[in-house]
Amino acid sequence: MTQEPITIAIIDDHDMFRAGVRASLEPWVQVIAEAGDVDSAVAVLHATTPAVVLLDVHMPGGAGGGGAEVLARCQDLAATTRFLALSVSDAAEDVVAVIRAGARGYVTKNISGEQLCDAIRRVDLGDAVFSPRLAGFVLDAFGSQSAPATHDDELDRLSAREQEVMRLIARGYTYREVAAELFISIKTVETHVSAVLRKLQLSSRHELTRWAAARRLL
Amino acid sequence: MCHDHCVSLFLPNVDTAERLPLRRPSVGRRLGGVCQGLALHLRVPVRTVRMVMLLAALTFGLGLVAYLFLWLTIPAGDPVALANELDVDARLVAQPNAVPPPQDGEVGGTASWWERIPLRDIATGVILVTVTVMLIADRLGAHLQWTWVFAGLIVLVGLFMAWGQLDSSRRGSLLEQAGGRTPVGVIRIAGGIALVIVGALLVLGQDREPSLMWQSLLASVVVLLGVAIVLAPWWLRTLNALGEERAAREIAKQRADIAAHLHDSVLQTLALIQRSVDQPGEVTRLARNQERELRAWLYNDRSSPGTSLASEARAVVANVENTMIDSLGTSQAISIDLVVVGDARPDENSEALLSAMNEALKNAVRHGRPPVSAYLEVRADVIEVFVTDRGDGFDVSMLGAVGPDRFGVRESIIGRVQRRGGSVEFRKMAIGGTEVKLSMPRQGHPVRSSVSPDGAQSLAPDSGPLGRKVL
Repeated sequence: MTQEPITIAIIDDHDMFRAGVRASLEPWVQVIAEAGDVDSAVAVLHATTPAVVLLDVHMPGGAGGGGAEVLARCQDLAATTRFLALSVSDAAEDVVAVIRAGARGYVTKNISGEQLCDAIRRVDLGDAVFSPRLAGFVLDAFGSQSAPATHDDELDRLSAREQEVMRLIARGYTYREVAAELFISIKTVETHVSAVLRKLQLSSRHELTRWAAARRLL
Repeated sequence: MCHDHCVSLFLPNVDTAERLPLRRPSVGRRLGGVCQGLALHLRVPVRTVRMVMLLAALTFGLGLVAYLFLWLTIPAGDPVALANELDVDARLVAQPNAVPPPQDGEVGGTASWWERIPLRDIATGVILVTVTVMLIADRLGAHLQWTWVFAGLIVLVGLFMAWGQLDSSRRGSLLEQAGGRTPVGVIRIAGGIALVIVGALLVLGQDREPSLMWQSLLASVVVLLGVAIVLAPWWLRTLNALGEERAAREIAKQRADIAAHLHDSVLQTLALIQRSVDQPGEVTRLARNQERELRAWLYNDRSSPGTSLASEARAVVANVENTMIDSLGTSQAISIDLVVVGDARPDENSEALLSAMNEALKNAVRHGRPPVSAYLEVRADVIEVFVTDRGDGFDVSMLGAVGPDRFGVRESIIGRVQRRGGSVEFRKMAIGGTEVKLSMPRQGHPVRSSVSPDGAQSLAPDSGPLGRKVL
């Protein structure tokens, strides 16, 4: 572990939630900034440049874009600051929106303090954090069945190994359990997950957005 | 009803709160329901109103004009229902000294022999007789101004066509359907206007020469156009205001919907949660159920029953969470994380699979340790379910010698799935905990590998990662 605590910012419009997160994380991380709406979030992030930002998906202010808008307006910080989306929403639309906007991970708010801490550490090291549900979304969006040959672009398909990793994460396995299950190192698991994240962010697949939108209308 | 409030502003002593709104009820009406409506509104006996109207009608037809005017301007509707809707004091309806609503009083009364006289038919008859008398009088040599009569008739018919729209009781529904512009309405307006113009021309142009007629027609059209151009902005603004008001009302209605929903579900649950603070399990159960319900409501994640395997799986998880709380006591919080990938239409196979999943989840909750997670994936030819817990592990070797005590697992999980051609695997996870894998071929996709009848092979412990400790 790093010697100094990781500097983080909590961007969420609920004071109670910010206080709760701060209380459960304080010993391990250093909260250096907080904000409750899009505009003040952008300002405070540029002023403080924390290592990791916990970002709520739904927030007031700005152009109404919420977390995705903060991400878009903080593109210049991408080299130093990493974003972890944190939301109560399970809606595929929201999840896909923030991930596509550049978040390194997505966890739901009922995550335990310990798990959240672990996730922050992981994001700080440049890895991706996938909750079981996000992994499920990925499998759903990229097609859990072996992709048809029409999509030849490497970005549009998950490799067999990546699918396996995603499937295990969706089944509730931790990275360590995935590694044990597949006889690979945790580092390799992280590599796979990061690769999936990259595909999720960069894939030009139209289906992804359409799928996310359709999920909402089911 | 606005009228009522306005009146109460100026006449504070008048008790307007108890007045029924001015509407023409459809029940108990004799002609157009005007007297009935007036009587209910003014809280006077209907008979009095009718007598007054009749007397007024006999004095130079004053009552007739008033009646027609009121008929056209008072919208049809049930004043009592409207009053309830508007939340005007509902006790009024039940008050004995108030005018009884028509349903109770007038209709079905024994003393209403004259109520049954078909006034409408009589009115029609009177008109026909009058016309006949006039025709006969004309034949007999009386000199009638036929042109005037015809022109007047045409104008009257036109007016009725145009104004009669107001009377249509289906007006509201029609307006809603077509945004105020129904073909029938347009035809009525256009026909009415045409008839009135023709009638007016007939009246005015009786003895004049055609060229003068044309000139005056042109002039009047030009004047009308000018007025229309001047009034157009005002009219448009009114239309816009109307649209805005409608939108605002729609939003208000939605908001009321949300408020009602929150009140019915969320606030109730919060109250329940506060009452059961000493029972963490119960609190969790309430919160989880509320969360599920609210999510389904917010994200429209509802599907009609029998169409979505995913939502049935969610229902199974909810059911396990709810029932296990009862059997395990309320001190323990139970929450099962479910992830579903893909979806399918449920059939008998998936039904059996979900029942087995139900049992596996109960087992995991009872014998395992949280977090318990379930994963359901619908693949091209097979549906797979994984139920994972972090308990000390279920001794897989025990299954080989399944005793009668293990009948639950054997029958409810293994038997159910195998009878439908699926397979069950119990594994001890490398890291601790047990995982049950249920797979079931989808209907129309027969299993490729044959399943042995006794199921021994699929029951045999997976020789792969099992038992091998990976650190």
